[in-house]
Amino acid sequence: MRVVLAASVFAAATASSSAFAVDYLSAEQAAKLMFPDADTFEARQVTLDAAQLQQLDAQGVRGRSARWPVSVAKRGGATLGFVVSDEVIGKVELISYAVGIALDGSIKQVEILSYRESHGFEVRLPAWRKQFVGKGAASALRVGDDIANISGATLSCTHVTDGVRRIVAVVALARRAGALT
Amino acid sequence: MSMNPIRPRHVATKALVAAALALAAFGAFAQSGTEADLARRLDQLAAELADVKAQLARLQQRQPQAPAPASADASPTAAAAASAAPVVAPPAPAYSGSLFGPGTVLTSYGELNYNRPTRAGQNAQADVRRFVLGYQHRFDEKTKVVTELEVEHAVSSADDPGEVEVEQAYVERQLTPIWSLRAGLFLMPVGLLNENHEPTAFYGVERNFVETAIIPSTWREGGVQVVGNFDNGLTLEAGVTTGFDLNKWDASSTEGKESPLGSIHQEMALAKAHDLAVFGAANWRGIPGLLVGGSIFSGEATQAQALDKARITLWDIHARWSPGRWDFSSVYTRGTISNTAALNAALVGNPTLIPKSFDGVYVQGAYKLWSQGDYALSPFVRWEQFNTAKSYADLGPGLTPPAARAERVVTVGANLQVSQGIVLKADYQRFRENADLNRFDLGLGWSF
Repeated sequence: MRVVLAASVFAAATASSSAFAVDYLSAEQAAKLMFPDADTFEARQVTLDAAQLQQLDAQGVRGRSARWPVSVAKRGGATLGFVVSDEVIGKVELISYAVGIALDGSIKQVEILSYRESHGFEVRLPAWRKQFVGKGAASALRVGDDIANISGATLSCTHVTDGVRRIVAVVALARRAGALT
Repeated sequence: MSMNPIRPRHVATKALVAAALALAAFGAFAQSGTEADLARRLDQLAAELADVKAQLARLQQRQPQAPAPASADASPTAAAAASAAPVVAPPAPAYSGSLFGPGTVLTSYGELNYNRPTRAGQNAQADVRRFVLGYQHRFDEKTKVVTELEVEHAVSSADDPGEVEVEQAYVERQLTPIWSLRAGLFLMPVGLLNENHEPTAFYGVERNFVETAIIPSTWREGGVQVVGNFDNGLTLEAGVTTGFDLNKWDASSTEGKESPLGSIHQEMALAKAHDLAVFGAANWRGIPGLLVGGSIFSGEATQAQALDKARITLWDIHARWSPGRWDFSSVYTRGTISNTAALNAALVGNPTLIPKSFDGVYVQGAYKLWSQGDYALSPFVRWEQFNTAKSYADLGPGLTPPAARAERVVTVGANLQVSQGIVLKADYQRFRENADLNRFDLGLGWSF
C-alpha cells in the first residue's frame, strides 16, 4: 500500500514539471494534430503485467513503467488510432513528446511538445521526426540504424528514439492483449 | 537540489499520504487490549485506507481532465472538441532526478588515457587526462546556469603537472522560442569538437590534432552571445568576448609551435580585456544526419600592452554526415595573426617566432560494425594534416624563419560503447614528419 501511494505522489510531482523553457504544443494539441478527424479522445490506462514487461525486455525494449496512459482517437465510435505522450531525458533536461500510432501499428506522427536543452533542439525539426513515419514494431527504430543521428544532439536523438520504440512496443503489446479495443 | 513548486493538487495528494501514514502509525502504536479490539481497529484502518484510495483515484481521474489551452488557430468547433476530449497525462519518467523536475543536475565526464610510443617506449604514459564535474542549475523555466570544473592530469600542486580550470560558467536566458542570450565563460562554437568534447562524443583516445593544435580546444572565452535556433534547422550564434593575449607569447619555448593559439589563450584567468573580439557561427542541420557549418572569430590581441597592434582571426568550415551506420566528418580551419613582422622584430634569435598563418584539415570515417543492447563497436580511420607555422611575415633575408612542414597523422582504431555514457577506446597513430611520436593509445571515458 505504501509503495503504491509513494508511486502516486511521484507521478503527481513529475506531472507538474511541464513548465518548459520552450513549449511547442500541449499533449492535446498534438493529439488533434495527429488525428484531425477525431471527435473524441478517450483516455485509457494500459497496465502491463510482469510477463508483458518481460516480453518487452525480450524485444530489447526497457519497459520503464508498467502504467501507460493512452489516448484513443475516435470518430463516431470508430477507433482511428492512438496517442501516447511521454517524457525522456535529453542530456540533462526533460524532452516532452507525443507519438501517434495508426490502426496498422505504424507510426503516424511524432511531435516534440517541449524542449529545453541548450543544444540539440533539432530533434523537433520535421525532417528528423519524419524518419519515424510509417515505421512500426518490426522496425529497428534505433539511432545509427534506421534513424539518422543529429550531430551534437546524440543523446537527445537516442533517448527520443528509444522512447518512441518503447511506446510502439507498449501499444502493440496492449492491443494484442485486447486492452485498447 | 531544489524542489519544484508544488501545486495545490499535489499538496492535497501529499496530505492524503501523510494521513494514511499517520493512520498506519496510529494503528501500529496505539493498539492494546483484546484480539477483538485489534481486529476492530484493523477493520477501521482498512476502511480508512480504502477511503484514501478512493480519494486518490478521484484526484487522479480529475488530473488528466484539466483543460489545456487550445491552439490559437484552432476553429471554435475544433477547440470545443479538443476541450471535450480528455487529455492524457504523461506517465512518470523512471529517472529519480526528474522527481525534482527542473532543478540542479550534476554532470561529469572523464578521460583516462594510456599512450605507448612504438619507437620511444620510454615515453609511455598513463594519465587521468581530464576529470570534470559540473552542474546545471535552473532558476526558472527560462533561466539556467551551466558550469564545469576540470582537473587535468590528476594532481594540481606546485610540484605536479595538473591544472584546475573553470571550463564553463555561464548563464543562459531563453528570450523567445527562437532566441536565447548567454553570458559568462562559454565554449566557442568553432569546429565539431570544441562544444562537444566529451570522450563519448569523438572517435579515438586523443582529441584530433586539428582541433587541439589549430583550434585550441577546449577553447572558451568570457563574454555575451545570442543563440538563435530556427525552424529550418539553422543555428546562428554571435557575440562579443575576450580574446587572446600575444604578450604571453614565449619565443624561447616550443609551446607556440605545438599550438599557437593554445599558448596565448587566456581562459578568463585575469584575462587582459582591453581588446574585445567578435565571433559568429552558423550551423545547419536541416537534413537528418547532416551538419554543415562554419565560424569566424576575430579580435585584436596585444591588449594595449605593446605599441604594435595585431589582429588574430580564426575561421573554420565543417561537415558531418551520419547515414545509417556510417559517420563521416571533416573540418578545415585556418588562423592568421596580423602585423607579426613588427612583433617578431624584437624576438629574432629565439626559436619560436610568431607565425603569420596556421591551418589544419581532417577527414574521418567511422562505421558501427556491431551492436547489441547498449554495446556498440565502431572502428574508424582519420587522416589529418596540420601546420602550426604555415608562413611567417618577411623579416628580411636570413632573419625570416622557414615555414614549418605540415604534419600528417593517420589514426586507426575503434570506440567500444559499453553503455550510453561509457566508452573504451583503442587506436594507433602514425606521424609522417615525426615518426618518433607513432604510438598506441588506450582510453576509458565516461560522460553523463
